[in-house]
Amino acid sequence: MINVTIDGVRVEVPKGATILEAAQEAGIRIPTLCYLKKLSPIGSCRMCVVEVEGCTKPVTACDTPAGDGMVVTTDSEELREMRRDVLRLLLVRHPLDCPVCDKGGECDLQDLVYEFGVTAESYRTEPFERDVPRYVSPFIRQWPDRCVLCGRCVRACKEVKGVGCIQIVDNGFYSYIGPVPGVECISCGECLSVCPVGALTDSVHPTKARIWQAERVPTTCGYCGVGCQLELNVLNGEVIRVTTTDFDRAPNFGSLCVKGRFGWEFVNHPDRLEKPLVRKDGELKEATWDEALGLVARKLQEIKDEHGADAVGGLSSARCTNEENYLFQKFMRAVIGTNNVDHCARL
Amino acid sequence: MSETKNMIVNMGPQHPATHGVLRVVLELDGETVVRAIPHLGHLHRGLEKLAETKTYHQALTLTDRMDYTGALINNLGYCLAVEKLLGIEDQIPERATVLRVCLAELQRIAGHLLWLGTHALDIGAMTVLFYAFRERETIIDMLEDVTGARLTPSFVRIGGLAADAPPVFFEKARAFVKELPSRVDEYELLLTKNKIWRNRTEGIGIISQEECIQYSITGPVLRAAGVKWDLRKVQPYCGYETYDFEVPTGTVGDVYERYLVRLAEMRQSIRIVEQALDRMPDGPVMADVPEITPPPKETVYEDIGCLIRHFKLMSGGFKAPEGDVYMSVEATKGELGYYLVSDGSEKPYRFRVRPPCFINLQALEEMIKGRMVADVIAVIGSLDIVLGEIDR
Ligand code: SF4
Ligand code: SF4
Ligand code: SF4
Ligand code: FES
Repeated sequence: MINVTIDGVRVEVPKGATILEAAQEAGIRIPTLCYLKKLSPIGSCRMCVVEVEGCTKPVTACDTPAGDGMVVTTDSEELREMRRDVLRLLLVRHPLDCPVCDKGGECDLQDLVYEFGVTAESYRTEPFERDVPRYVSPFIRQWPDRCVLCGRCVRACKEVKGVGCIQIVDNGFYSYIGPVPGVECISCGECLSVCPVGALTDSVHPTKARIWQAERVPTTCGYCGVGCQLELNVLNGEVIRVTTTDFDRAPNFGSLCVKGRFGWEFVNHPDRLEKPLVRKDGELKEATWDEALGLVARKLQEIKDEHGADAVGGLSSARCTNEENYLFQKFMRAVIGTNNVDHCARL
Repeated sequence: MSETKNMIVNMGPQHPATHGVLRVVLELDGETVVRAIPHLGHLHRGLEKLAETKTYHQALTLTDRMDYTGALINNLGYCLAVEKLLGIEDQIPERATVLRVCLAELQRIAGHLLWLGTHALDIGAMTVLFYAFRERETIIDMLEDVTGARLTPSFVRIGGLAADAPPVFFEKARAFVKELPSRVDEYELLLTKNKIWRNRTEGIGIISQEECIQYSITGPVLRAAGVKWDLRKVQPYCGYETYDFEVPTGTVGDVYERYLVRLAEMRQSIRIVEQALDRMPDGPVMADVPEITPPPKETVYEDIGCLIRHFKLMSGGFKAPEGDVYMSVEATKGELGYYLVSDGSEKPYRFRVRPPCFINLQALEEMIKGRMVADVIAVIGSLDIVLGEIDR
């Protein structure tokens, strides 16, 4: 353990902890943009600059390890001016998109610009040419001119998903996020979920809603047994998006797979089966539950009588609860009388 | 001897002379008023509660809808309260303050003119209405030039004004201040010495100084009873202490004197408007406090930093520091106060209005007990109430 003093507060942190982690321990907020706990820090945005006693120049808190006896100042007029300059430079060619940007209202860039009272007038440049690019996944739309090149998406794709299909292409002023040739995207949406601005947006549902319009219902993904935590964005009783904003929540820590993130359209789909159907004269007709279940029971009985219990097999689903799966195997074993029971997760 | 029985009569809520949906339950002994109980709430919209669900900026529009004959003054009182809460009173640009005074006084004259016309009409002097509404229309047109709206401008904003006044406003205002005094003379010609008018108003609805103070009555009703109490003098805001004007008062506090006081107030307001026009400084009309006031609209179309500031302020609103504040202004009807409690969020935790009309109305029975039914109309008119503010 080492001792660090942040803005006059002394804290003890394990060796190897960064200045930012020490500040968090001390309950002091340092503004960040490119930092994300689950990703390796790369110190690309320089919002988190702090002064360290004995250092001639400010250092970035997110990727500088704290040293024993270090004395750190996180807020001063000079630091604030440096942060303002960082923001001004980020705004140099940022489009006037907030009113039409999906991220408006929950955008880290907006929050920081508002907090620091920055205007862009100090620096100007030609606007970025906006051609609608084809991103690596059809579920995600890319807006390169809104990108702040924080590199979160690149790191998330590589470090969390182990895919690494995107990278920063070109350099300097012309850099953008582009594909890595030959590596295929798995459309997991990890990059989408970590982007602090509106440079990557969800393109599944045409309806969009501001954060204060749609209700965010925290729930558990129904697709498999992992039980990932996610939020259904519900507008007027209809699911329009899935988000993950809590990166500290087990078991998935804000990550999802393609099914959890983008595979929710069935919820409101008009073809979704909501009532039992029974085939009569070659055509599926709506029936009551009693009628449908009666038919199933009768047919199962017939099969069992004619061919024996082992002629029947049961396949259960990871989308059911444990209780339902328990009941199902019980039903197969005790009622039907067969051990032919399996589960989709074993396929 | 046959027995007599008091009769209960409902005056209102649909009665042209109750100035809105007011119901007064009258207990009458023949034609004499025994009791008069105002029943309120027909126009209750839950305005104060509603304001607690709005950001500070959004809540402004609700203030227009209280006393809609003095909307700009309602706006002003509210904005002053929020500015006090935020501690930005010193940052309001001078031009905004002078324009605020100018608009508020014009609004006061318009409010008094509306009162004059309808009050006279209630008592049977119809001609006055046409005269008063002619000048009121001129003011409303001017206010429309500036604010874009006739009755509900929401024009005074936290930090200043929504926009600067166009040049045409200053021309019109100059002409108007020249013209109005002679117009007030005309109204006086029609009423002040008019025998019928005096018979209907003199000695009617008297309320003494002491009673006024007990009832917390404010505004022209209080001043007509002889109390020299005007917040613009005793608790000045917007630099009223630097303007030269008098506070007209009466002596007996009857319906007639309330009439005289309001007429004299119009003449004083004109003096204030004139002085405001003379000293109108150049400069911005909105303070520049990035976390609170919106940036100039032109910059929002050009500068992403300003666009973000605008977006954040308009969608989420600013956070006010924890605490509470009371701020009151002299509205056309009396002391209009706002008590705001902030829990540190973007919305007022409590939004409470001290309404002059609501409080002045409480003395109605005191004023008309033992008088004739017809006097009820004269007295209600002389109180100058607006139900939008009473019921809120
Ligand atoms: S990314 Fe943020 S700042 Fe940029 S347009 Fe979208 S909401 Fe506005
Ligand atoms: S969707 Fe997943 S695999 Fe594709 S680029 Fe984003 S993070 Fe990488
Ligand atoms: S796309 Fe988003 S996450 Fe990726 S670099 Fe740009 S701003 Fe950062
Ligand atoms: S948060 Fe440290 S450099 Fe971006």
